Amino acid sequence: MDDAAIKTWSILVIMGPLIGAILAGVFGPTVLKGKTHFVVIAGVALSVFGAIMLFLQVSGSHGDASTTVVLYEWIPSGAPSWFNVEFRVDALTTIMLLVVTFISLLVVIYSRDYMRDHGEPAKGYERFFAYLGLFVFSMVTLVLGGNFLLLYLGWEAVGLCSYLLIGFYYDRPSAAAAAKKAFLVNRIGDFGFGLGIFLIYLTVGSLDYNTVFERISAGVASGEIETSRVTAIALLLFCGAVGKSAQFPLYVWLPDAMEGPSPVSALIHAATMVTAGVYMISRCGAIFVESQTAMTIVASVGAFTALFAATMALVQHDMKRILAYSTISQLGYMFLGLGVFAANAAVFHLYTHAFFKALLFLGAGSVMHSMGNIIDLRKFGGLKRVMPWTYATMLIGCLALSGFPLFAGFWSKDEIIHAAFNKSHFLGWIGLITALMTAFYTFRMFFRAFHGVTKIPDGVHAHESGKWMIAPLVILSLGALFAGYAGVHISGGAFLGIFEPHGALHHFLDPVLTPFSHAPHVEMVAATHWQLYGLMYTSSALAILGIVIAYGMYVDSPMLPKVIAQMFPNAHDVLYNKYYVDEACNAWIVEPLRKSGRLCFAIDKYVIDGIVWIVTAIPRGLALLLRQLQQGSLQGYGASMVIGTAIIMLVVSFLSEP
Amino acid sequence: MTIADYATQLSPELALIVGACIAFLTGVSRNIATRSLAAPIAFTAVLAAIAATAIYGRPIDTQLPGLQFTTLTQYIRWITLLTALPLILVNWKLPVDGERGEFFGLLLTSVAGLTLTAAANDLIVLFLAIELVSVPTYILVALSRTDTRASEASVKYFFLGALSAAIFAYGLSFLYGAAGTTLLISDTAPNLADSFASIQGMTLYGTIGLLLAFAGLSFKIGAVPFHAYVPDVYEGAASPVTGLLGFLPKLAGFVAIIKLLTICNWNVPDAIFWLIWTVAALTMTVGNVLALLQTNVKRMLAYSSVAHSGYMLIGLLVGPAIGEGPMHDGIAAMLFYVFVYGLMNLGAFAVLSALSNHGEDCETLRDLSGLIRRTPALAIAMVICVFSLMGFPPTAGFLGKVYIFSSAVSVDPANTFHQPLIILAVIGVINSAIAAAYYLRIVSACVMGDSKSEQEPRGGAYVRLALGACSLAMILLFIMPSLLANPARSATTSLTESGTTTLAGAQTGGQAGAQTGGQAGAQTGGPPL
Repeated sequence: MDDAAIKTWSILVIMGPLIGAILAGVFGPTVLKGKTHFVVIAGVALSVFGAIMLFLQVSGSHGDASTTVVLYEWIPSGAPSWFNVEFRVDALTTIMLLVVTFISLLVVIYSRDYMRDHGEPAKGYERFFAYLGLFVFSMVTLVLGGNFLLLYLGWEAVGLCSYLLIGFYYDRPSAAAAAKKAFLVNRIGDFGFGLGIFLIYLTVGSLDYNTVFERISAGVASGEIETSRVTAIALLLFCGAVGKSAQFPLYVWLPDAMEGPSPVSALIHAATMVTAGVYMISRCGAIFVESQTAMTIVASVGAFTALFAATMALVQHDMKRILAYSTISQLGYMFLGLGVFAANAAVFHLYTHAFFKALLFLGAGSVMHSMGNIIDLRKFGGLKRVMPWTYATMLIGCLALSGFPLFAGFWSKDEIIHAAFNKSHFLGWIGLITALMTAFYTFRMFFRAFHGVTKIPDGVHAHESGKWMIAPLVILSLGALFAGYAGVHISGGAFLGIFEPHGALHHFLDPVLTPFSHAPHVEMVAATHWQLYGLMYTSSALAILGIVIAYGMYVDSPMLPKVIAQMFPNAHDVLYNKYYVDEACNAWIVEPLRKSGRLCFAIDKYVIDGIVWIVTAIPRGLALLLRQLQQGSLQGYGASMVIGTAIIMLVVSFLSEP
Repeated sequence: MTIADYATQLSPELALIVGACIAFLTGVSRNIATRSLAAPIAFTAVLAAIAATAIYGRPIDTQLPGLQFTTLTQYIRWITLLTALPLILVNWKLPVDGERGEFFGLLLTSVAGLTLTAAANDLIVLFLAIELVSVPTYILVALSRTDTRASEASVKYFFLGALSAAIFAYGLSFLYGAAGTTLLISDTAPNLADSFASIQGMTLYGTIGLLLAFAGLSFKIGAVPFHAYVPDVYEGAASPVTGLLGFLPKLAGFVAIIKLLTICNWNVPDAIFWLIWTVAALTMTVGNVLALLQTNVKRMLAYSSVAHSGYMLIGLLVGPAIGEGPMHDGIAAMLFYVFVYGLMNLGAFAVLSALSNHGEDCETLRDLSGLIRRTPALAIAMVICVFSLMGFPPTAGFLGKVYIFSSAVSVDPANTFHQPLIILAVIGVINSAIAAAYYLRIVSACVMGDSKSEQEPRGGAYVRLALGACSLAMILLFIMPSLLANPARSATTSLTESGTTTLAGAQTGGQAGAQTGGQAGAQTGGPPL
């Protein structure tokens, strides 16, 4: 690979959105106004171009698994080494960059219409685009960074942008509260993440990816670094991933984050930022695979979250919330994939998921825009004829999410389930059950929104969205249809006699993800034909079954759901109230903390402030005393100088006595 | 040595002095328009001096009598001149029209004095250069506004400055008495560096001389117990001039101390180490604690200026570690910090001068209240500068503190002063925390206060330009600190001959100190005294 070219394109990828954001922020309110979107679209488009060029560089090279280009040295970290501003470019980076920049571009384009009321820019239009640009900048920094310091920088910066954008409608108390919740919950995860990075530095004395991975692998092999230390590092890093990627138990912020504008939900809380944890673990494979414990925990948390979130999605009425729980569940799949050493399947799922989930959120946004900001499925329905484009694209997105055969989600999800079965049948069955639920809740949402009797809230002029919104939907639906084919190849005797998993994408990623495939603990079971392809037929059948049940319950006989809910009132309530997790958190964590906060406040007010008052009373008293002596007069100052000199002379001559 | 050598080597100073003369001349014109040309003239002179530094300013081996041009000289020239640009911009509209000629002439003279201090290689030149910095500042304070407070501040500053100059000169006379020469460093002639090359050479008179000189210079840097004038003078002068006071005399004082410690080859009696240690600890603590009590922002920043001198003294105490860079090299860290401090301090005072309350400078926290709602740009610049003063990322002030404290803790553990330096660094960190309390009050007033006060923006485009430059520099130097850290690292190469000596490092034992001293003597080829 050509280092100079890599450097140039990396800088383009990073600086495009940043400059767009700065221009939008500085000139938006005064000069650009309603045209602010242009600078950000242009910046992100440059970024897409740079990402494509990087991809060509990487795919054009053979043998060179990764390149690290140092932009400049930041500050020294020890005698010879520096904390550098450096980029690491390899297959994983370029795939992530393509996904991030491409989806970002579509979302920014979509926002041009979405952030308008009747053609007029909504309040905070410029601010919105400035934040979006800043987010893209932060996210590509996270992905491109060549050491843990830059990773952390990007990690915190995307968190900040997420906070700002969830609270975009800050005059709505629920939005402000959701932003605060997201920030605080993420702090818990990031605290662990920060500690993990400190521990890495303490263990290997560097934060550079190459050095850290080499030294940890070598250190574990030679016994210099204890496995328990590596486990601690991996779990602390995973703690960050749990927060950022909304896994159990830190998932609570993501459903509330839907208070942000829909494009934000699509970009940050579905396609890109929340997958940062998956990216981080794939990147740090060399650390994670050294610890069997950590990998087991990753897999278990992932599987549990996938199932747990899917059950909550079954009974929600808010379209975006259903999608939010679905995102949590799909992220759970990705962690399950990582935990069972199938990192390439996890990254594959990340890639397909970005397309169809962004599509679904943007589609939901299109509905919401049309319904006058109402997103509750009980208040509208049967929009099939009102919004034909949205209907068609949403159908494709839903099929992809359900894992309907031949759609994008099918290929990647199936690979993860397959890898899980290889590791443990229990994990595999969880994956399959979740797949059934996924198909059901997805089409429950879809049928209720688009089929049946047309029902529109009072006073709303329902309309199909404008072309700025429809175009991204169409492009994304193409992705949801075909993106999966990057990960399969054609071979006789395979699924449906044509398709064989593990395609071009996997081969491209393999050099980067070698730690997973070469891990010492992996025992690959020789799979029979049935194990290889039977699972694909099974999961296809489950997906279709889920869709049929949803059709039966919500189109064919709409009374059925109520009957079922009445038959199992407790179960329904528990699910509808999200297992009362928020309430439990409030009662067991927030309230005690608040009480101890009050106690601390009282201590601060009466004890600490008292001490401070006493302590500051000394200099104050001294000052008063000195003021009495000096009265601010010149003579006093002069005298203090001379006396000071005299004291110094006396003390020093006393000290100098031999 | 021809006149041409002088002219090329001293071309930056010549540019400044010529500019000063022209500015003085405009001051006698009858035409008001001509007289107000002084500011652009001063700005041009500084630009010319920068050009001259870039073209002719190289460290050279040959010495002019009394002057020596080293990497340190170059560094000080660059940072002084680069700070002088925003300094002039902030002061652009300052005195009444009639007095601008004198004002900017004096300002340029003071700047020239500072660059000469960095070139001084003789006690007499050093003394004169320091006075060249100081005397104009006394007048600048008085000229800065037509107010009895300014006059009072100026008179106080002048008398106390004269007293400190007397103490300084007294100290220098002891040094001369001890060594029999006024030359600091030389390859051929008898000089102070050779005679103090070893602990044995450091007689009682030499020690007394250093002590008194340090005491005299402590006034310039505002160290305890010579800090009492700082709040009064800072409050009395107009804000732009206060920004100047925080940089020019302070840097001159530090440069002079570096020069004096260099002639001892950073190898001083324990007593002086402990003296500087105590002064540093006291300066930080007293400055910050007294600042806590202030509601007047100018007095608050004055005490903060005292405290910052304390941080910089830590770097001085660690001493140079040649080629190691500011993470380990205390002097490089200090040189990094002093430039950053100059800019952030100037920025903060520029904000105060850009706002006025019924024609008066905005001074109290109440005046700043709710600034972000009235002029968001000024408020953001203020927040950046104050965060930088506080040492908060992502600003250069953060890196400055990191450098200073890390240089203190990175001293060789075998060193006798390893422990005290770590304690000093801890005191410094605690002080940074204390300081956050009053800096955050400024931030909270700007950002969260209600906007009831009624000042109107003032100062116009020039102040805003300078302010923008200062706050952008704070961010830029955080992102790319090597822009400044690398020059700072190379600036210390001229400070010792032996590479690894530190003020503390030389103290690992009398023997080691004597050895390094001996090496230095051998390398310079001077006769051991």
